[in-house]
Amino acid sequence: MTTSGKDPALTSFEAVAGQEFDVVIVGSGVSGAVIAKQLGARGCRVLVLEAGSGNEITVADYEESVQRFYGSQRKDNNSAYANPRNAPMPRDYETRKLPPGASNTDGYLVQMGPLEIDSTYTRVLGGTTRHWEGKALRMLPDDFRMRSLFGQGRDWPLAYNDLDAHYRAAERELGVAGDVEDQQYGGLDFGPGYVLPMRKMPLSYLDRMIARDLDGMEVTLAGETFPLKVRSTPQARNGVPNPAYDEGRGYKPVGAVSTHQEDKGERCQGNTNCVPICPVQAKYDARRTLYAALETDNVQLLAWTVASRLEVDGATGQVSQLEFKTYDDPDAPGHRVGHVRAKVFVLAANAVENARLMLASDLPGSSNRVGRNLMDHMYLLTWALMPKPAGALRGPICTAGIEDIRTGAYRRHQAAVRYSIHNDGWGWATGSPYSDLEHLVEHENRFGAALRQGLIDRVSRQFLLDCMIEVLPDESNRVSVDPRWVDQMGNPRPVISFGATPYTLETAAFSRRLSRRIFQRLGAEDHTHYDPLAPGYVSHGGEGYVLRGGNHWAGTHIMGTSARDSVVDSTQRSWDHPNLYLAGAGSMASIGTANTTLTLAALCFRTAEAILAGLGTHAPAAATTGARA
Amino acid sequence: MADMLDGFLALSAALTGFTGHRLRGTGQAEAYLATATGIVGEGVMRDLLLAADEARASAGGDAAKHEAELRRLIMSDDRLGPVARNIIRMWYVGSWYQLPKPWREAHGQSPRDHDHVVSPISYTEGLLWPAIGANPAGAKPAGYGMWAMPPRIAPG
Repeated sequence: MTTSGKDPALTSFEAVAGQEFDVVIVGSGVSGAVIAKQLGARGCRVLVLEAGSGNEITVADYEESVQRFYGSQRKDNNSAYANPRNAPMPRDYETRKLPPGASNTDGYLVQMGPLEIDSTYTRVLGGTTRHWEGKALRMLPDDFRMRSLFGQGRDWPLAYNDLDAHYRAAERELGVAGDVEDQQYGGLDFGPGYVLPMRKMPLSYLDRMIARDLDGMEVTLAGETFPLKVRSTPQARNGVPNPAYDEGRGYKPVGAVSTHQEDKGERCQGNTNCVPICPVQAKYDARRTLYAALETDNVQLLAWTVASRLEVDGATGQVSQLEFKTYDDPDAPGHRVGHVRAKVFVLAANAVENARLMLASDLPGSSNRVGRNLMDHMYLLTWALMPKPAGALRGPICTAGIEDIRTGAYRRHQAAVRYSIHNDGWGWATGSPYSDLEHLVEHENRFGAALRQGLIDRVSRQFLLDCMIEVLPDESNRVSVDPRWVDQMGNPRPVISFGATPYTLETAAFSRRLSRRIFQRLGAEDHTHYDPLAPGYVSHGGEGYVLRGGNHWAGTHIMGTSARDSVVDSTQRSWDHPNLYLAGAGSMASIGTANTTLTLAALCFRTAEAILAGLGTHAPAAATTGARA
Repeated sequence: MADMLDGFLALSAALTGFTGHRLRGTGQAEAYLATATGIVGEGVMRDLLLAADEARASAGGDAAKHEAELRRLIMSDDRLGPVARNIIRMWYVGSWYQLPKPWREAHGQSPRDHDHVVSPISYTEGLLWPAIGANPAGAKPAGYGMWAMPPRIAPG
């Protein structure tokens, strides 16, 4: 990787087929990249397989994605990325309202309902961190003890404190900007003196307008009173380095991924386009980590390659080899089939694709839990117009939120929730600002100066509050495969069955009520409405709501204390297959109210240590890769 | 079509509320004129620009009268109104939108008449965002931390 050239670390089908590596990793997203980097740095010979294109490591490649986004009429969260027919990806616009008992097979995901879920993921180098927004909140200590504390869901086989050092490693790797002093709530503990690598993103004009009137508002829930406060949101986005980081050694932001010196991406410029692509690479994506992995010279990357089947030795349960399919043309039918052997295999293809591959390999697990317990955050969107122009459509998508209700005794009865203030207007809910332009031109018959004033009145005042609601593991929510539905290559497509329980819906109803109070307190004009024909429409207590997916797929290879009721142990190692690790949010036993990426990255640091220990390579202590100021 | 550009810019200024200089500065006038003309045909485009000239002439510098004349001659005209509204959409978000079905049935179909971004640059030159002191998502950022300041909504 240190040599010049376009994609020097890309290897070929011919060079890989029939070979043996120390470790083979399926997927180049954040899970795979973190593990590859840690193992490569310790001298392990690692092969990473990526289903999407390998031409994604130069600034020119990146610019192609930016231009693809500019030129896309539908600017959905995968619009910046090529969608090869040989390794297709879900698109949110493929989601449709399902009549009872119906299914939707139009897109890559087969949706069985009853709740339609518009979540996606990205099959491209760097995985879904290419389109993620970058929120990097830690889970709360309570989230790891759901069964013990609240009699709901499951406990993790590890505690928050067991993960603290790995959280630090993840915050360094992802480059988190945030102020720890704003994160003092819900039992969050970062340890004495700890600071994040970079200072918080400045709060937006809208955040501060809201904080002025909202801070101090009290909410009572299950007899407990929570004072609300607008708090900065930690995020993996380059900002101003904190000189106190790492015991005063500071932090150097990682800029654009490039095979040559490139002065770009060292600080957020306010493009308001974290999803689907930050044009200046100020947002972390896993190519940064992958690039560092490739630079160890021990890690090779085979792109345009879909892992298709794990083969297992019946006597030992060990994975003996992995079958893969490599294509030359992204869209035309045709591929070559190869096999690769390794001491250790890691599936790091995301919670849906990991489960899909296991089930396609006829490996549902001795617990029959593979693919089950599918979780994602359910988002209830609420939206209003502020009394005066609030500067919508500027800055990172979110810079602040309301965190104070993330845990409490109420979780015995209803789901946890946090709220984000959106700097990008009503776009997520209504298709704004395009829908506003349409309304003003087509229905209000405006043009000229009246049109401009209409946009100021209708767009600049927009405030969207998203309500991010916890979903519990539920065995009937699942990913499965069905020979009726395969992709062009013949690989089974993921079949999604998903429903929302009253536990989740109760918090949707609570959040709608709370949003009304918030808008009343701000003097904001409530425009929230839920269309009964929209995907995700549900009724609860006589009211209708639309629930949107969070793209936080989790739980499908759930972590636990025994092979009887879980798929992996606390290091993400398969109970059934001693040389197989299933890495990523699929291992999470709960998702709380944190976006999953930071936690799954932390888990992958832990997994890398376990793999190194198993291979007889001395593992670096996590505490030295994290930092204490 | 070069002879039509000045008229197209004058009409566009009236429709968008941005000055002709500002519109010229986007570099998109030629592309939008070509896109619209390619889809609706030169006859419709010439009639649209003639109607715009007439509205301006009969208004004699009176802004309220000019607006009323534009409504009378163009915005409420079955043939010209939908085209004018699509010209507004191009300037504001860089996209052409398929003309309404009645228009297509009455005045002709074009294979290019479907929803599309005129070009990647036309998106980044969209005027909707500067109209509210913002930047098109993913382009022309105002710089680190500027989002903490009030929006600067300026005429232009």
